[in-house]
This record gives sequence, structure tokens and C-alpha cells, in this order.
Amino acid sequence: MSERKKVLIVDDDPDFVEGIKAILDTTYDTEVAYNPKEGWDALKSGRFDLLCLDIMMGRGAEGVMMARKIRKDAVLREMPVLIITSLREQIAFLFPGQAVHPGFVPVDELVEKPVDPDMLLQKAAAMIAAAEARRAAK
Amino acid sequence: MSEAGGRILLIDDEEVVLDSCRAILEGSEYEVLAATGGAEGLEELRRGAPDLVFVDLKMPGMSGMEVLDAIRAIDPTIVCVVFTGFASIALAVEAMQRGARDFLPKPFTPDDFRAMIRRGLEWRRLVVEAAALRQEREALRENFAAIVSHELRSPLGAIQQNLFVLLKELSGVVSEDQQRRLERMSSRLSDLLALVNRWLRGFSVDFSNLRESFGEVAIAGPVAEAVESARAEATRKAVEIEVEADSEAVVWGDAGTLTEALLNVIGNAVKYSREGGRVQVSAVRRDEKVVVSVTDTGVGIPEADLPHLFDAFYRGQAASSGVGGAGIGLAVTRRIVEAHGGTITATSDPGRGSTFVIALPALGTPAASEGTPSGQVSKGEAG
Repeated sequence: MSERKKVLIVDDDPDFVEGIKAILDTTYDTEVAYNPKEGWDALKSGRFDLLCLDIMMGRGAEGVMMARKIRKDAVLREMPVLIITSLREQIAFLFPGQAVHPGFVPVDELVEKPVDPDMLLQKAAAMIAAAEARRAAK
Repeated sequence: MSEAGGRILLIDDEEVVLDSCRAILEGSEYEVLAATGGAEGLEELRRGAPDLVFVDLKMPGMSGMEVLDAIRAIDPTIVCVVFTGFASIALAVEAMQRGARDFLPKPFTPDDFRAMIRRGLEWRRLVVEAAALRQEREALRENFAAIVSHELRSPLGAIQQNLFVLLKELSGVVSEDQQRRLERMSSRLSDLLALVNRWLRGFSVDFSNLRESFGEVAIAGPVAEAVESARAEATRKAVEIEVEADSEAVVWGDAGTLTEALLNVIGNAVKYSREGGRVQVSAVRRDEKVVVSVTDTGVGIPEADLPHLFDAFYRGQAASSGVGGAGIGLAVTRRIVEAHGGTITATSDPGRGSTFVIALPALGTPAASEGTPSGQVSKGEAG
């Protein structure tokens, strides 16, 4: 039996986190960080197969800063990132002139809150599988 | 208005009065403009944008009262004071009723004049400040709605997320009736979230970047998609939708938002149709425009509502008619159409139906290829 994959959730809304975690817990080992700093520390201290990142944290979009940092990190940039956001348009609103899909990291996808449980599990599984396939190809 | 000082315009047919006033203000921090008649004074006012105007009531040609009316029409924040002769208190009162702030009886002393100027300019400062505050309040009102919607959305999203999970976890554990109630909760919450999202969209989404995603769009595509989306509701109400779309009608635009704009209008036509009604959608190329018109045989729109139809949150009589909605759809539609350099207008025959016309620059015409919105933006007008 293969080991359970590890997922990190970074989101500053504990209630929302609970809703997401309960879904992911059925399939993955899930860890939680409630702010970008904690999240960054967690990423640096362990290896995760998927990051679920809220971009509207703290004042403005601190999650965006975190995504940009991940993008610059040679190791972390291989990790798939699922961006979970309130409103898709809000991103276009925050970053005028950019495509709606942010492309913060080479591999990311975007889902809107609230997330349908089955869709979340499917997305997570697909993203992790794709990342493994990429690693195997190297 | 400058920090200290201020710009003062004197309108009086007596040169001697103008001269004395100038003499009194010589070397002061004020800038003085003068005119010897009403018409000339208004010209000077348009050119010089004064803070304070002194107007003589008795002048040949245009009377002081008429000048007051004209100034109020040009810029109501300009403070006016009238010069009056002796025994014309009644006239002074009338002048004040017509917008003058105060009156200065002739003859006056230099001190009277200076004191009046100080009071007048102080009033002007207050008026300008009040106008700025009003503007700020207006901006706040708009932002407030955006902030509130945003703040509402986070907790609603968190609740919904947990309901999703509970529904999954409790499936088979709770009774069917309990399951059904949980599902209802989740469904009502979805409606609420959709409403909040619509509000936010109405307020804070910036369509000005839309042009970056523009491409060639045959309007028949968005028309067909919008009609398709409106079809379910139409079928439920036995409303027939007739579509006629010219495949040659092409615009430079964004298919997604155009579909959204058209769906708002077509959806409304269905929504306000009676059972068994008919909605006609036509998209044709007319000269340099692509014109999409949507005509219904529904309840129509009262004339008084027409000018406000495209304002956010305006629901008009629909508010009391039991038809649901947030009053956002048409406001968003107008913004989308305007981002495409087009116009939207509405006409209606109350009781018989309404027609909405969206006119977009046709592709290949100068207006469309220049990349700048063309033409006048017209709000709905009764026609």
C-alpha cells in the first residue's frame, strides 16, 4: 500500500479550513497553516505533494506574495498549487491587466470558494498524479 | 479656489462703481474681474471661474435677476452677492430667493465691501467643501456595498463549505427528512452567495481591461448561447423565443461578456413576459453597427422608470411586482456594452411590452478598429 500523500492548506479562515480539511482528510495527510508565514515554515520543514492556498489573506492578497515566493524557489516550484479563492474576478480586479488565471507558479489551478467536495478531491488527485508523471519523465 | 485670496467678479453697468471697487481692492490678495453688463459678465464668469460674484440688480439689458439665474445654472457653488440701491429691500429679498447669498446696499463703505467679500469667500469655501464631502460620501456608498458584499461572502462561503462536507458525511446517517433539510440549507445559501457575487460584480469588477481579450466575434454565437441559457425559464412559462441572427454581423469584442450582457436582456424579457408570451431576438448589421434588439410582449416599463433602468440597484416598479432580482443585471449590461464602444437603449409601451436595443460598432468600421469607444452613450429614453 502506497503511503498517503501530504497536503498543506494555507488559509486564514479556520471555519473554511475545517470544511476543506474534512474533505481532504478522507484521502490525504493534511496539515494546516493559518497565515502565509506559518505556511512558508511548514513548506520549508516538510515535503508536500499539494498546496491548497487561499490568496486573500491578511491585508489584501498576502497569499499572492507567498505564491510568488514559491515560484522563485527551485524545489518548491515543482509542487502543484491549488489556489482557492473567493471570487475569480477579484483576481482580475486586484491585478488589473493580468489574465484572470494568475499563473503564479508553473503548475497551479484555481477553484472558487465554496468548493464542491468531489471536485476538490478530483482536482487534488489529478494535480498530484500530473506532478508525479512529470517527475518520472525527468 | 486659491489658498488665500480668491477670484472676484464684479458686474455693474456703472463704471464708477467698478472703479471704486477696484480701488478698494487694490493691493489685496484678491484677483478682480469686472464686466459692465449681464451678458459680458457671464462670459467673464465662464472664462475666469470666479469664487464670488457681485451683481448689480438694476442694469440695462439683461437684469441682475436673470444673471443670478444664469450663474446658478452654470455653477451653483459660485457665491453671488447683489448690489442694491436704497429702498429696494424687496428686490434684495427676491434676489436671495433666486440664489444670491447676501446683498450690499449702495452706497457702501470700503469696510462694508471688504467684510462682505470675506463672508462671501468663507461661504464659498464651505460650499466647495460640502460638495467635496458629498462626492466622497457617494464614493463611500459605492465602496460600502462592495466591502459589505465582500465581508458577507467569506462567512457564507465557510458555512457552505462545511454544509457540503456535512451533507457528504451525514449521508445515510441522518433521516431522509433531515438530509432534505440540509440540502435546502445548502441550496438557499447558494442563492445567497450568487446574489452577493452579483452585487460585487455590479460594483467592483473593472471592465476597462476587457479590451485585452477582444477578438472577432460573430454576434450570432453569443446570441445563440444567451438564448439557450434563457430557454429553461422560457419553457417553464411557455414563452416562445424567436431568433434571427445575421451570420455576417461581426463585432470586435469578448464573447463571454457579450453573452452575459445579452443573457441579462433576454432573461429579463422572459422574466417580465406573461405566460404564453413571445420574445423576439434579432441581430443584424445596419450600416456601421451591429444591432441586437430584444422585443417582448410583456408587462412593459413605466415611462418614469426608463431613465433609471441602467442604474445599479434600480428596480422601479418591478420591486413591488414580486419579480425577483437585485437590480444589477442591466447596470452590468450597460457597462459591458460601453466597454465594447456600444450603446444600449430601451423603449416601452406599458402593458404591451418593451424593446431593448444594443448597438455595437461592426467590425471593419473605423470606430471598431480604432479601439476606442465611439458614439454617445445613451441611457434609456422613452421613444
